[in-house]
Amino acid sequence: MKKITIYALSTCLWCKKTKKYFEDRNIKFETVDYDKQDEAHQEAMMAEMRAANCSGSFPFLKIGAACTQGYNPEEFDKLLKLK
Amino acid sequence: MNRKARQEALRFLFEPVIEKLGYKFTPSQEDADFLLEQETLIEAATGIPYCPCQARSNNRAENMRMVCPCIPFHRRHYDAMRRCWCGLFVHKDVTDPDTLRQFPEKEHGTAAQTSHKRRN
Repeated sequence: MKKITIYALSTCLWCKKTKKYFEDRNIKFETVDYDKQDEAHQEAMMAEMRAANCSGSFPFLKIGAACTQGYNPEEFDKLLKLK
Repeated sequence: MNRKARQEALRFLFEPVIEKLGYKFTPSQEDADFLLEQETLIEAATGIPYCPCQARSNNRAENMRMVCPCIPFHRRHYDAMRRCWCGLFVHKDVTDPDTLRQFPEKEHGTAAQTSHKRRN
């Protein structure tokens, strides 16, 4: 199974819905709340998101080698199936 | 600070602004209440009702693009989604917000722009 990491905000409704998507399917994932991190970690997270040409909007997901942004179940389904 | 009262005050303040932009509050009452509650918490901590779904940094100009309602700063992207990023506001003709997709700005062709580049 692919490694899944969700960068989230504790205040974000769509981050909660994204986590629920994976919980409902019993898919393991890691999550990091950006707003609970220290500044150094926040800057590293932001740099990673910008490197993926994504602005500072959440949720930001890494599914295997791919990454996506926003709550988009169809996209999640697609990325989970990719070899 | 009475959180419920502040939520209603934000609703009252935002209504005329988004109305002119062609948006309304999401028909999903539960989502709207949750998001407004988060904004009052963020406002209590920072003094400003920032978007609950976008990250603030120590770049003030960048942060200003996330003050709710942030629609004017992301107009083309949000119009393409027919909703704002956090989903608090949707286009006036939207009846079922659950059918709307949330997709990154880069997918829409307006790649994440630096805060200094003026949006036309």
